[in-house]
Amino acid sequence: MSARYGMVIDLDRCTGCGSCMMACAAENNVPPLPQATARTGLTPLLVRKISNKKEGAARREAFIPIMCMHCEHETPCVRVCPQQAVEVDRATGIVMQMPQRCLGCRYCMTACPYHARYFNWWDPAWPAGMEKSLNPGVAVRMRGVVEKCNLCHARYHSAKEKAAAAGRREIDLADYVPACVEACPTSAIRFGNLADKNDPVYREANSPDAFRLLARLGTEPKVYFKSKEAWVKALAEPTFTGKTEVKHG
Amino acid sequence: MKFTRRDLLIWSAGAAAGLVVSPVPWKLLDDTSIWSQNWPWIPQPVHAPIEVKQTLCALCPKSCGLKVRMAAGWPVGIAGSSTHPVSAGALCPLAFAAHQLNWHPQRLRVVKRKGNASSWNEARAAFSKAAGEGPILIIDGFPGRSASSVLEQFAQKKRGTYRVTFVPETRALVPYETWTGAAAQALTYDLQNAQTVVSFGAPLLDGWGIPGNFTRAWSERAAGIADPQLRLIQIEPSLSRTAAKAWQWLPIRAESDAALAAGLARVLLEERLVAAHGPMPTLSLADASYQTGLPADSIRDLARAIVARTPAVAIAPDYSPAIAALNVVLGAVGSRGGILARSKNAQPQAPAEQVISSARAVLIDATVPWDFTPQTDAEIFRFAAWNPGQTNADWLLPAPGFLEDLTDFPTAPTSPIETYAVAPALLKPTVEVHSAAEFLCGLDPELTRVEKLIHSHCAELFRARTGSLCGQQAALVPSFASVQKFEEQLWQGAVWAGDPPKPKVLRCTLKEWPNSPPQTPADDWLSSWGLPVQPPLASKLYQESGLRESVERRMA
Repeated sequence: MSARYGMVIDLDRCTGCGSCMMACAAENNVPPLPQATARTGLTPLLVRKISNKKEGAARREAFIPIMCMHCEHETPCVRVCPQQAVEVDRATGIVMQMPQRCLGCRYCMTACPYHARYFNWWDPAWPAGMEKSLNPGVAVRMRGVVEKCNLCHARYHSAKEKAAAAGRREIDLADYVPACVEACPTSAIRFGNLADKNDPVYREANSPDAFRLLARLGTEPKVYFKSKEAWVKALAEPTFTGKTEVKHG
Repeated sequence: MKFTRRDLLIWSAGAAAGLVVSPVPWKLLDDTSIWSQNWPWIPQPVHAPIEVKQTLCALCPKSCGLKVRMAAGWPVGIAGSSTHPVSAGALCPLAFAAHQLNWHPQRLRVVKRKGNASSWNEARAAFSKAAGEGPILIIDGFPGRSASSVLEQFAQKKRGTYRVTFVPETRALVPYETWTGAAAQALTYDLQNAQTVVSFGAPLLDGWGIPGNFTRAWSERAAGIADPQLRLIQIEPSLSRTAAKAWQWLPIRAESDAALAAGLARVLLEERLVAAHGPMPTLSLADASYQTGLPADSIRDLARAIVARTPAVAIAPDYSPAIAALNVVLGAVGSRGGILARSKNAQPQAPAEQVISSARAVLIDATVPWDFTPQTDAEIFRFAAWNPGQTNADWLLPAPGFLEDLTDFPTAPTSPIETYAVAPALLKPTVEVHSAAEFLCGLDPELTRVEKLIHSHCAELFRARTGSLCGQQAALVPSFASVQKFEEQLWQGAVWAGDPPKPKVLRCTLKEWPNSPPQTPADDWLSSWGLPVQPPLASKLYQESGLRESVERRMA
């Protein structure tokens, strides 16, 4: 039976500590490039701050972790990739990025409505000796390729190997927990199988407080957000009424 | 059959066409991509079986439980240990990349004297000479460890002084030490049972206390609920992370916390909202309103909101007698959901801020926060694993880095229960490093060594036969057949946990409303991160996300 792995992120529980961001980067051997900026860096999971744009005591803020939304329908990055370097794994629903096939055209970055893809501008480098601290489960990517969240696929492989060693075809979901989910101190990020009606994540994804970012695009993201705050929900479908000045360069 | 020139052309054209439709060019393209990812200068992870070790984080006194993934003897991943009785799997963000710290470019690798390379022998000779010439002062940032006992023993033998630095959470409990006689290190907040928590700028959801202890309680009882079981009221001038997620945020003028505490106490006592437990503040409500910038009615409303759901407790971010006195008025000292004393009392210890000016030499342990600078003319010997520059120390002595030292962990500040744990050295240092305790044992062989002290502490716990051991499987201490079995579990990362504290009367002798110094609390948990550096990955992520200011930038 194929799974549809996805997440529900409770924004009311998220305190913006950034543990998920740190655990994700450490798990995926993201290099600490000091020359990188907000535009050129690699952050497969990025925690952003949002506000209700009011002033004084009426001002409210929330934090929203942004990563690949693992779109299920007409996946934009898959459709534009000329190299078949991106594909939706039918067994898991995970949108897979294969750096070996990527030629760095960055069409996928342009197509992604969530700005969740990053380009490797530099050869990965660590201070002398620090390469000993790299996670053996994840290969280091070269410069010139695009990368993004793949729901800690190395952990999925480990869970598969464990299941195979135990003579099982299906993995035990307790063995497959992405790094950000494991790191969250308030359990704001929950992971599960959206195809399984008994999975708590399925129930949360279908709760009245759950929503998806830019759902109107119809790409069926598998990352859901949850909040009881109306102003937070309203930001999921932004509408621009005025002119937006865009600066390039 | 004759092979003509025409045949050759036809064959060549056919071969070229065939090659194009065959997988060969695509395979070559694919292989080129793969080869180009494996240039010799691109670092590759070591491929070795993964071994998971349970231990504790020694980077700050909060000592959270860690699960360290090791490959070929090196740590390759960090996660929280869910079996730890207090941190329960949660960590601060920096811990997730702490295994990179030992290779930080600013790692202190050689002994330095006034910025120049020196040697351990010279350092030993200089410290012995100084200790023989006059009184010494030893400063410890993480009291209660076996290594602390070594430091204290040495100071006593040399008729020197032993002082400690406290984390802000412990400093906030110091006023109760004066009023009740119970040591600040033995006091804790019973937040699990509190209904209203009034924070005067304490970053409760941003690293205050032990990560995961309060944040978990908050997320389960308060997050996103309009009428929560736990009301978190945050009072501070700016909208911090904690204020953003609080049930109510009340912006007040900077440094007016003491005035608001006095105003609230006045309303509580005048309107008889609480039984009179403490003295009436001298500050009038009008003055409190003027100083805080809040209308008097808002202060009245806040006082009523605090007592609408009890137990209620006020939390100061640092030393603040006025906020402590508000807790006395609320009746929160010694009661459920307030401030409790853990069963084992500790000896009050003198803070390092009161530096002895007559000291000939000051030895600073690596656990003392880097920004602590003693104002003294004495010769300063500072142990540190990292050196970002900017120090007034005469000697910088390389200390063990992350997971490189055997240490034990007493109960962490604000921990609701008593704990004890041991963390053996998981890594062999790549340069010659010594802890302060080891250094002093080298100078005076009669001092009891850290390992021996840990063994005797484990034996003491075993003999007391109380509490339980939280490891892969929790077990009560009496269920262990021998001290060896008990100690073996502790050395493998299990944590001894005492029984939860019970409310007991803490007799407060507060006759007059105290004066409070103005305070400017730190924004977040980085204030209690005593290291001068952070993992390079953290610096990178903070720079790119703008989520926080990096430690290096803050230090600068």
